[in-house]
Amino acid sequence: MDTNLLISQAKARFSHNAAKAALQEKYNAKLIIAEQAGLWKADKETINFLYHSHLIQTEIVLMDTFNNPVKVNTLELYQKLFEVYNNVMNEWYDEYIQLETKK
Amino acid sequence: MSKGVLLFAHNTPKYNYLKMAVFCANRIKHFLGLPITVITDVESTTNCETSIFDNIIYTIPNKTNKKEKEIWINKDRFKAYELSPYDETILLDVDYVVNSDKLLKTFDIVEDICVHNNTEFVMNPKLPQEMISAYSFKTCWATVVTFKKTLKAKQVFECMEMIQKNYDHYANIYNFVAGTFRNDYAVSIGLQIVNGHLQNPVDFIPWNLYHVGKLTSVYKNNDSTLCDEFLVMHDNWKNGKIKKEYIILKNIDFHVINKDNFVELL
Repeated sequence: MDTNLLISQAKARFSHNAAKAALQEKYNAKLIIAEQAGLWKADKETINFLYHSHLIQTEIVLMDTFNNPVKVNTLELYQKLFEVYNNVMNEWYDEYIQLETKK
Repeated sequence: MSKGVLLFAHNTPKYNYLKMAVFCANRIKHFLGLPITVITDVESTTNCETSIFDNIIYTIPNKTNKKEKEIWINKDRFKAYELSPYDETILLDVDYVVNSDKLLKTFDIVEDICVHNNTEFVMNPKLPQEMISAYSFKTCWATVVTFKKTLKAKQVFECMEMIQKNYDHYANIYNFVAGTFRNDYAVSIGLQIVNGHLQNPVDFIPWNLYHVGKLTSVYKNNDSTLCDEFLVMHDNWKNGKIKKEYIILKNIDFHVINKDNFVELL
């Protein structure tokens, strides 16, 4: 199917809001990972907390996304979450930039 | 530990569910690389190429349920636990479009059984969540159910059978309309019962089930079965006029509610 023809014939306009929401949906799921027997979201708060914790101690108990306390190695989890965050956010940014140019 | 996907596909007079299952299976093989078992009946497999399935299990379809005056064969879903040949299974609706490897992550998440309890509509991201009834809890969705062969998962499926057999009674207790049997309600109540009438966050997949709802159509961006870009077009009503809006979905799974639209993707 020629979707470009379909778009032009229907005089459809690109919905930036819906596309932004779709990107959020797609990449939020990618930020969630299972690691060290817990489920984590690679978000700024967790990464920041782990970074500061690893300077003080090697292990700490954290509540995972299912609200279960899990004893984790702070440096290893920090490195993993930071790597995931960085990769996912770069992909998100690239796709967002492409989306901005659409009409 | 064996892992695989289980599909239910019984043809009805209106829809060829086995053809939908073949489309779904092709995408599962491509994006997830998992073996697939289909639960179907002899009549449905006639004149349909089924070599994509690793395993075919024949059952006698229960045709007693109706939706919008048409036969809707969805009453053997509780048998998934017993019929699945895998230690860890993703039970999937055939109208779920696998368009990424995201479902593999549910194997990392699942303790016994997990389902979606949050949804989002592609062109209407702010629609509220469906509740079982006005003062009840959020409906879980039987569209994607990942489970292990554990006692708790077994109990949930046994509860689903009990709820199906006593549907009017549960409709009365939970205050929903009993007319059409929905597996979504059976799994929601089943989980609730097994958890001692509490909700356990471990049972929920931590991202939304992405629906393509009514007034929204999906088109493939190319004719390949494994096309990963879809055009989604929506009729947005404003001041009595329709304005067409669209987005492109790439590498994201979604569930097509409108079966007539889904058939056009095959």
